[in-house]
Order: sequence, then structure tokens, then C-alpha cells
Amino acid sequence: MPLPQLWRRFLSETGEMSRFTGRFFVQGFKPRYEFSELLHQCFIIGYKSLPLVGLTGFIMGLVLTMQLRPSLVSYGVESELPMMVGIAVVREIGPVITALIFAGKIGSSIGAELGSMKVTEQIDAMEVSGTNPFKYLVVTRVLAATLMLPVLVILSDAISLFGSFIGVNIRGVTSFNLFFKQVFDALSFEDFIPAFIKSYFFGFAVGIVGCFKGFNSSKGTEGVGRSANSAVVVSSVLIFILDLLAVQVTDILGLN
Amino acid sequence: MQAVFTIERKAETGVEPEDVLTIKNLYKSFGSNHVLIDFNLELYKGENVAVLGKSGSGKSVLIKCIIGLLTPDQGTINVLGHNIGELNIHELDEIRTKVGFLFQSNALYDSMTVRENLEFPLRRHWIKLTTAERTGKVKEVLNNVGLAHTIDMMPAELSGGMRKRIALARTLILDPEIILYDEPTTGLDPITGKGISILIKEMGEKYNTSALLISHDMKCIRMTADRIIMLIDGKCYAQGTYEELKKNNDEKVKQFFE
Amino acid sequence: MAKKSINNIKLGIFVLAGLVVIIFALYMIGRDTNMFGSNYTLKVRFENVQGLTSGNNVRYAGIQVGTVKRVKILSDTLIEVSMLIDTKMKKYIHKTDVVSMSTDGLMGNRILNITPAKDGYSLAENGDVLIAKRSISTDDMLETLDKTNRNIKDVSEELKMTFLRINSSSAFWKLLSDETLPNNLRASAVSIRHAAVNADKMIADIHLIINDVKAGKGSLGAILTDTAISYNLNEAVVKIQQVGDHADELAKQLTSIAETIKQDVNTGKGPAHAILKDSSIVMNLNNSLSNIEKGTASFNQVMEALKHNFLLRGYFRKLEKKQKEEQQ
Repeated sequence: MPLPQLWRRFLSETGEMSRFTGRFFVQGFKPRYEFSELLHQCFIIGYKSLPLVGLTGFIMGLVLTMQLRPSLVSYGVESELPMMVGIAVVREIGPVITALIFAGKIGSSIGAELGSMKVTEQIDAMEVSGTNPFKYLVVTRVLAATLMLPVLVILSDAISLFGSFIGVNIRGVTSFNLFFKQVFDALSFEDFIPAFIKSYFFGFAVGIVGCFKGFNSSKGTEGVGRSANSAVVVSSVLIFILDLLAVQVTDILGLN
Repeated sequence: MQAVFTIERKAETGVEPEDVLTIKNLYKSFGSNHVLIDFNLELYKGENVAVLGKSGSGKSVLIKCIIGLLTPDQGTINVLGHNIGELNIHELDEIRTKVGFLFQSNALYDSMTVRENLEFPLRRHWIKLTTAERTGKVKEVLNNVGLAHTIDMMPAELSGGMRKRIALARTLILDPEIILYDEPTTGLDPITGKGISILIKEMGEKYNTSALLISHDMKCIRMTADRIIMLIDGKCYAQGTYEELKKNNDEKVKQFFE
Repeated sequence: MAKKSINNIKLGIFVLAGLVVIIFALYMIGRDTNMFGSNYTLKVRFENVQGLTSGNNVRYAGIQVGTVKRVKILSDTLIEVSMLIDTKMKKYIHKTDVVSMSTDGLMGNRILNITPAKDGYSLAENGDVLIAKRSISTDDMLETLDKTNRNIKDVSEELKMTFLRINSSSAFWKLLSDETLPNNLRASAVSIRHAAVNADKMIADIHLIINDVKAGKGSLGAILTDTAISYNLNEAVVKIQQVGDHADELAKQLTSIAETIKQDVNTGKGPAHAILKDSSIVMNLNNSLSNIEKGTASFNQVMEALKHNFLLRGYFRKLEKKQKEEQQ
């Protein structure tokens, strides 16, 4: 039975991506390890994303606090503001917003970089130079994204909470100590650990999608643009799907 | 024709010529598009051979098969005494250190400086080199292509001709025995192209390499090639020196000389 | 090369910063669960733990001192709760200290409160069982309310019956030659009916609330645990009980009157007439009735107050709507 063109493309792309992921696991754990390139990619992917992620995290914390305040005031539980924001940020908003920003910045840059390397034969040149381009380019980037996103999420959470502290102090007054005591009193390991673990998966998704799109970029500069664009779109959607899975898994495990 | 040529050379030099690259009965197709059909080629030591053909005639496919980037459907490729199809990845890497490849689009790594670009193959293949030795090698080869001053620049800062020279330097840095040129003058203006052609000839002599050059640029081929192979309809249609082929009356060969 | 090592240093700082934040966060979260400090275990036994689970906070005179470690069923009426208490508290907590259960805030988590005993006995050691204070639960409260309602219902039934009996007996009316007396009695009867109707309505209202609460509808269930409202409800219960008592008395009186009248009427003897002529009895009757009326009125007032309580407003509004819909 002939499937519609769109469905065929979607299915074949899903299959290719699965094979690509499999290839990552097969090749990623075999020597030789491109350790210095991995460090370099960690620097670019992790360290260089911090200002952007920090800024968005700060604004998110501040805005969330300001938006939640009126409804809490109407219930007379304004003092619960740090608790509400703390849980929202640590459980959901921190990981997801950071991962989305990360997908926008890193997913597109990996997609474009590998895409243009593919188009200008740099990937072939690498292979000719006795380097496995999959290991050198893909494995390092995917690992770097997987390892760095959780660090970014942690720092972004901290910055968000700081933003929220400022948000609380715009309309009311609370001390730094009291604010953080309230936040951490409300938090438990069940809030913290699943969010931390799921950010590894988000990072992996961004890395693998970016590399897949770049590595399979079609010829020409248009192909490069398309890979960068679809890397962002696909990884953003994947982040939400993973988030959905994560909430169900934590629910089943009784970690809510 | 091929057999005739071999005999001729034997007559000239008096020694049996040593072939560094032999291609026999090569077939390669992409879907229903048969690019190479029973293609044969021999490259002798110290010789520069040009493969001439129209765009899309399978020239690039040919040299990518030689270096192992593409796998032929059928036929054998023998490089420096090794059958490419039977090598594992490590042996293939070993052969690749002896076969340089100049990409059509240069394939300089955009994220690295010129120095890092040149050091990259050194680090990969000659792991034992010290930093000083590496730097010496990089400077030497840059001097040879006349671009010593660009050592700390990024590829994006260089002109097209300069980039081509750097790419050539990168292929030369491992002292290859064979260099494969993929359209070296395409995308360059005639004057720069001429400069590159001269450089290819010079470097070939200096580093004592054999070269397989694919192009459709007659000027370049005339300057660099000892022998020309016409790749038409996926086959070795005709071969000979520039002058020999110019005299050929075949309709399809004549097209290239108009 | 120098640039590369600087980059690696920056990366190191970045990763370390993340690590520091995560360790700090884990420490801060773990601080309350006493995961990183030394502590000892105390136990307490309840009949009903009302949803208390491991991880809930334990306070000593309002100070956070530990968490609930485990809730274990000992028998069908006894549940043992183990508490992890900070070792620093060892010199303050006595064996005679009373543990009670309450709620953190309006709708917060369950907490255990250790109330210091006035006369310190001996200090509690690891594994000791402290004294539990039985707390009044919503269910208990509702049960009392329900009993009261049933009483009221019985009383009003009897009132109705009595009234009907008096009303239906035409011979009885004829026996009464005095015109004022029957008028009085009639008025009383109307009052009785009024009171009975009021009581009926009240019972229906309460039943509705109880059913809803039992079914856990809305936030009412949670709200009922709030002390202010439960005080109101308690007051209501007391008032209802008072009404019930009055009504009980009245019913007794009325039945005795009715018995006598019946006897008199049946036997055709005189005393009935004489008794009915005595206006003091009628006065008594009227008094009792007005008492009932007062009782139901004050109950209605309580209900009205509840209706205006902002937390319950939504619930009553829904109720009104429902009633309106049913009427239509």
C-alpha cells in the first residue's frame, strides 16, 4: 500500500536517525577516544552557552515570580511564593527552558557546522587524513552536549532562583537567607533528581539530532541552512516528547 | 591503445615501468545511473596523468573510489601494491598517508588556523613527532607553496588561490607518493589557475610524486599532464599526450579541443 | 596552545561551578531529611495516622527537629510511627512528652508536634515510645453531627405525629367548648409545624454537607480541618444538641398530654376538658415551641455564617444553583 510521501519521508528519517544513534553507541565506546577534541567541544558547547542560558534563566525566574504573585496574594499565601517558584523552576521550567535555548544555540550550530563541513568535503578530508570523522565530529559533540546540558541546567536553576529572589523583593521584602531556606525546605530529592536525569536525555537529543542533520546535509548552501533549521525544530519537539516520557516514568516510579 | 603506450615507454627508457596505481574493470553506478563501466587505468611512478571528462562523467567518483571514500560495485583498485577493497580500516589509513588528496573545495577545516590545518594530518599519522618537528615541517611546506606568512590565519581570511595552495601544502606535508587532484583549477580565475598549475608541476618534481589529475580545464591539463585519459561514457575512451589527442579525429574527443 | 589551556581552565571552572551548586542544593535539601546529620529514633503509636507518611516533618514546640522515618501497622487499631530526631534534641525530649498530629498551614502536609511535658520525667532514649494525643478528626466531628441530626429528626417526627393526631381528631375539638383554647392550640400546632419544617430543612442541609464531605467533594474536606471552621461547626453541633434537648422535652410533654387526652376522650371522662382548659399548660407548650424556634433560628444563623465564610462561599453557591436547577 503506497504511503503518502510525507509519511514515507518521516518514517525513513526516523529509521535513519535510529541507525545513526546506534552507530553512536557502537563507535562511541571503541578506541580511539578523541579526548582533547571532546574537551574543546565541551568548552564551546558548555562554557560558551552559559551567558545566554544564564540570561534566559534569570529573566524566567524574575517573570515567573512577578506573574505568580497576584494569584497567590488573592489567596493570602504570598509567603509561599519562593516555594512555588522553586518547585516550578527546579522540576520543569529550568530543564525545559534551558534545553530549548540550548537546542536553539547548539543544535543549530552543530547542524550548520557539520552541514558545511559535509558540503565542502571537510568530512571526506578528515577521513582521508586517517581520522574517523564520526568519532572526531559526532561522538565528541554528542557527548559534550550530553554532559554539558545538565551543568547548564543546574547553573540556570541557581540563576533563575536568584532572579526570583529579586522578583520577590521588587514588591515585597524578604531576606536572602529566608528566601533560599523556603525554597530548599519545599524541595526534595524527588524534585531534584528526575529533573537532573532528564536533562542528560535532553542534551543527548540535541546533540544527536544536530549531528544527524549536519552529517546528512544535502549538497549546497541551502542544504546547510535546512539542516541547521530542522536540527532546532526536531530537537525542540524531541525535548517535549522526552519531557512527557519523563513525567510518566517518574509517575510510575512514584517519584512525584 | 594502452598496450601500445606501455611498449612505447619501455622503448624510451629501457626499463620496465613500475606502476603505483592500477585500476581494472571498474564498475560503479548510482541507482540506474551507470557512472563507470569497465574502466581501466594504470599510473606509473613519476608520471602525471590527467583524466579529462565532462562534468558529471564520473571523474570525482573515480578518485573517491581510489582513496576508499566510495566502494566500487565491481573491479579492483591496486594502490602501491595493495588491493583497496581487501584492506581493513587501519591498513587503509596506512595507504592513505601515502596518497594525498586535493579536494575540489579545498576542504580546509574552517574552525582551525592554517597551522592547525597542516598539523592535523601530522598528528593523526605521525604521532611520534615532537612539537618542534611538527612546526618545522609546517613551515617548510608553507615556504614551498609560498605562503609562510599565513601560518596563524584562519582559512576564511584567505583568497581562493591561497586556500588552494594551503590545501596543496596539507596534502604534501605527509610526503605522499601519489597525489590525487580533484579539479584543482575549478573556481579560480585563469591567472591564479595558471599559478596553481605551475605549482602542481613544481611540487610534483620536488616531492617526486606521481599524480592523477581530473579536470576539464584544458590549459591546466596541458601544463601538468604527461598523459591524458579521456573518460567518456564511463569508459577510458582514448588516451595519449596532449598533442596526440589533439590530432585525433574522433568526434567526441575533438569536442574538448575546440 | 596557550589559548587551549586557558579554555580548559575556563571549562574546569564552569563544571566545578555546576558541581558546587549541585552539592550545595543536595546538602540543603538533605538537611531536612537528616540524611547527613546524626540522629536517633523515637516512636509513637496512633489509632489513625490520617495520611501521615515517611518524610513528614516532626517539630518540637514548633521547631523543626526531624522527620517521619516509617509508618508501620502493628494491629488493626494501632499504627506505629518511627521518627528520626536530631541528636542535638536528646537532652530536651522526655519520655512523657506528648505527640500530636496536625497540619502545616491551611492545606499543608501532615506534621507531628512534640509538646514538652511540664514535669520532665526522664529523657527519651533511642527507640522509646512517646505518648500520643488522640486528635479529633473530621470524621469524628461529622459522626457527632450525624447523631444529633438523627435525634432532631426523631423529635420532629414525633412532633409531627402528635400534631397530626391532635388535628385529625374532630371529636377532640368538639369536646372543647372554650373557643380561645382551640385557637391557642391551633396556633401552637402551626408553630410546631413551622419548627418541624425548619428542623427538616436543617437536617437535609447537613446531610448534603456530610455526604459531600464523605465523598471528598471539593476542597471542603480539606477546609474542615481548619480550626476556625471546625470551631464554628462544633458550635453548630452544640446548638443543634440544645435544640434537640428542648425538642425532646417538649415531645415528652406533648406525648403525655396526648396520652391523657386520648384517655380522656376515649373514656369520655372529664379531666381532659379540665386539663385543656388550664391555659398554663398551653403557655408551657408555647414556650417550648418558641425555644425550638429559637434553636432552629440560631442554627440557621450558624449556617448563614458558614455560607458567608469565604472558603465555603463557592460550595454554597453551587448548592443554591443546584437547588434552583432542581426547582426548574
